[in-house]
Amino acid sequence: MAQESGVQYEPVAEIGGGAYGTVYKARDRQSGQFVALKSVRVQTDQDGLPLSTVREVALLKRLEQFDHPNVVKLMDVCATLRTDQETKVTLVFEHVDQDLKTYLNKAPAPGLPSSQIQDLMRQLLCGLAFLHSNRIVHRDLKPENILVTSRGQVKLADFGLARIYSCHMALTPVVVTLWYRAPEVLLQSTYATPVDIWSTGCIFAEMFRRKPLFCGESEVDQLGKIFQVIGLPVEEEWPADVKLKQHNFSQLSPHGPCPITEVVPEISHQGAELLLEMLTFDPLRRISALNALDHPYFQEG
Amino acid sequence: MLVSSAALEDALAAADELASAAATGNTERVGILLQDGVDVNAVNRFGRTPLQVMMMGSTAVAHLLLKHGANPNVSDCHTGATPLHDAAREGFLETVQILVQFYANKNATDNRNCRPIDVARENGHLEVVSYLESL
Repeated sequence: MAQESGVQYEPVAEIGGGAYGTVYKARDRQSGQFVALKSVRVQTDQDGLPLSTVREVALLKRLEQFDHPNVVKLMDVCATLRTDQETKVTLVFEHVDQDLKTYLNKAPAPGLPSSQIQDLMRQLLCGLAFLHSNRIVHRDLKPENILVTSRGQVKLADFGLARIYSCHMALTPVVVTLWYRAPEVLLQSTYATPVDIWSTGCIFAEMFRRKPLFCGESEVDQLGKIFQVIGLPVEEEWPADVKLKQHNFSQLSPHGPCPITEVVPEISHQGAELLLEMLTFDPLRRISALNALDHPYFQEG
Repeated sequence: MLVSSAALEDALAAADELASAAATGNTERVGILLQDGVDVNAVNRFGRTPLQVMMMGSTAVAHLLLKHGANPNVSDCHTGATPLHDAAREGFLETVQILVQFYANKNATDNRNCRPIDVARENGHLEVVSYLESL
């Protein structure tokens, strides 16, 4: 790790923040290009950085060697000693100056052509399959951290930081959007890679609708909105270890699932099939990123 | 004229917020802050104006800032790049077109003596090159 980050990378604006640290848009003075600086403050003792932090950073650096086209590049890692007990670890990522939210808003009416949606989805799933095969769960996939270059190349950002941040995040509640959260996350059950597929399903639907699919205002409200579309899951599928029970929702969604084409009217038959496999309540039965890439939807066109 | 330090701090905080909203492509927030009277050319705590740090792919933010009188010909204090250089480097043709439409200087040179067209060519953005050539 380099010792000094201040000289080469100069912050120009704050683009994100939270309990754990701050994210800056910065300029690499050597190349003139923009980069994203993500720093996290970690506690240190005489042995230096905690092993968990070193391990996470090492994993991110190892990913870099694959040079995957659909994830942002980690360009540099710097550690700066702040006090005897605290070190600032700064990760320097490639910065793409357009996110999927902006890209979707920019599309002229009536929205993106279906071939373009298919291309974006294939790239998104490729990036996700790559992360998942390296046992990285993104956990917070949303249009704001799916980047799209001017050439239409999709790059996933903000992955792999969750575990570095996690111990710090518990301290201060950070306002996060619930709209792309998987049911098992909302129910506070255990979760793994399928949570990212749920988010991808929500985003898939949003590409056609040009507005988010489930806009809940609380965890319960979010779950209610989900069940109105996919139907209330049967008791047997409900996770056992959670506070909210299936019967708490029986009032909300007395009917079965509503036809998906009612909420996503423009989608093709195969597209709808794939969407439903992504928006499957039971994470174990939800389609994986690799299997989704093999879905007949991607042979259409 | 006496200006209280609290008022100065408020102005800086507002400038910071506008720059951050522009950098994250938050068109709605940019609109609200401009409506509230935040100076479109005020620099944030890093000495940059909102147009200099905006999300380059966001034509909506670019248009909104320029319509409110953002100066398109500010250059980065360390690299000399103007917003037109940055949009050209990243290949955002529509943003390049909006900047030019609002009188961004297509012949501005950065510290390496490169014009926006040179930067676009360097990065293989041929559509941007041919547009800038056509002017």
